Amino acid sequence: MSKLLNRTMKRFMVYAGIVLVLSIPVYYYMINLLWRHELNEHHIELTAAAGREDRYLIIGIVTGLTMLFFLLLMIGFILLNRRISRRLWQPFHKSLAHIRNFNLDQQQPVVFEHTDIEEFSELNKSLEKLIAGNITVYNQQKEFADNASHELQTPLAIIQSKLDLLLQTKVLTNEQYDLIEEANKALARVTRINKNLLLLTKIENSQFMDRETIDLSGLLKSTLQIFSVFSENKQLLLQTDIAPGVTIEGNKILIEILLNNLITNAIRYTPADNTIEIVLTDQCLHIANPGTTSLQQEQVFKRFGSTSSDTPGTGLGLSLVQQICNRYQWRSAYEFANERHVFSVRF
Amino acid sequence: MKILIIEDEPALAKSIGAYLADENYLCEFAANFGQAIDKVSVYDYDCILLDLMLPGGDGLKILEEIKQQHKQDGVIIISAKNSLDDKIKGLQIGADDYLTKPFHLPELAARIYSVIRRKQFGNVNIIELNELKINLLAKSVTVNDQPVVLTKKEFDLLLYFISNKNKVISKSALAEHLSGDVADMFDSYDFIYVHIKNLKKKLTEAGCDNYLKTLYGTGYKWEI
Repeated sequence: MSKLLNRTMKRFMVYAGIVLVLSIPVYYYMINLLWRHELNEHHIELTAAAGREDRYLIIGIVTGLTMLFFLLLMIGFILLNRRISRRLWQPFHKSLAHIRNFNLDQQQPVVFEHTDIEEFSELNKSLEKLIAGNITVYNQQKEFADNASHELQTPLAIIQSKLDLLLQTKVLTNEQYDLIEEANKALARVTRINKNLLLLTKIENSQFMDRETIDLSGLLKSTLQIFSVFSENKQLLLQTDIAPGVTIEGNKILIEILLNNLITNAIRYTPADNTIEIVLTDQCLHIANPGTTSLQQEQVFKRFGSTSSDTPGTGLGLSLVQQICNRYQWRSAYEFANERHVFSVRF
Repeated sequence: MKILIIEDEPALAKSIGAYLADENYLCEFAANFGQAIDKVSVYDYDCILLDLMLPGGDGLKILEEIKQQHKQDGVIIISAKNSLDDKIKGLQIGADDYLTKPFHLPELAARIYSVIRRKQFGNVNIIELNELKINLLAKSVTVNDQPVVLTKKEFDLLLYFISNKNKVISKSALAEHLSGDVADMFDSYDFIYVHIKNLKKKLTEAGCDNYLKTLYGTGYKWEI
């Protein structure tokens, strides 16, 4: 990467160099001509040896002078270039600093300083418009997330409460009870999808900004503890290799969601009596569970990418994992190797 | 026991009222900010269920009003907003609990029971049900004065049933109560059976009547 002005500068220098180098024979030829003319005019004769000596002298002086001027030109160019660039690009650098400090979360509109250079003034105007637009969209999305949450969850709450009341009816048959339970299960799933969608929107809107140092080793261990009920229930062996004292920077809620989703996935899709491997190192978290066929690489992390009617998941879990990774510039990956699904997060 | 339900959605308020009616609870309703402020300033309640988004104003203002008047009413926020900010703010102002919509009515009943218990009994916190005695502070249970050792989950289950006496509890409500968000990520309810079976066995072995009935094959009821 090179600076814009340096780039033009290089061309100028090359051009000046070529002109000066080409000027050397021209100077020599002209001076030689002039010199001979003067000698002839004053009827001075030179011996062959003296003539040769003078030729070398002239060549030497012409080359030396050319070099000197070239050097002078170069120094002048560099100094001038520096001064011009500093003054000319000042408004640009100021605008750049403003944009760098801008944070969508803090909602402070950016005000650029006035500049009388037309191009920069236009650039600033466009940037102001763009940022104002972004703030508006951000606010609208945030509002949508809140509203959607309220608008959807209230009817869900009503349905849930009616089902609970229906269950209290005195004369329920087994079949009716089963119907209510089925409805309950579907309702729980809708509720979860709604919750996760809202969460995705919130992460995409960067609404979880605060960062703290998190003891990932400890968090992973306690998460595994919570899930042990479910893994024991399926007679799964959790084979762990957790390096102690691994810490990362991030939002605690998001990191918990990331761990929960990866572990839930592994437990949910592993047939009973199998082993799940969980490895944590300084750079990488790595969860592997046995499987028979590879999942579709490009679908795995997509929203609703792997949902099917026979899985209880929301189809949003891994999408959330990826969003969280994107947020912190981590890399999430999936591969199928040695009959194992391997999910990894590289910090 | 008086409960005030501040909820603008009539269908939901009605369900909550109906579920809570057969206990010794007397339910009153407020459907907007103005009504809620009027009721809260004039009467005392054992527990107030507070929705945060109300026509006419923010529910948190009502909570501030209650705390300003130094009232002792227990407050449970029931909100559709599942944002951490609101939760922290609500609990900081002085709410006793926070429940996100949608919730199971037995869960709400259990939370109300626990709030009222905390407010009313102070330090002596013992529930007696015939031969069964539960010390809530020591988290210990005795049957005919003989101690019964329960795990944390079993103790939790017992309280859940007792706060929903004579009500049918579905296994999905139980699963959510036992492990919150984690439970509903898995399809299997097997682990509930295990806890319930163990609780039942420990109580009957200690000489407790069988109050915990299995209904319709999979639902449960604490009958007394």
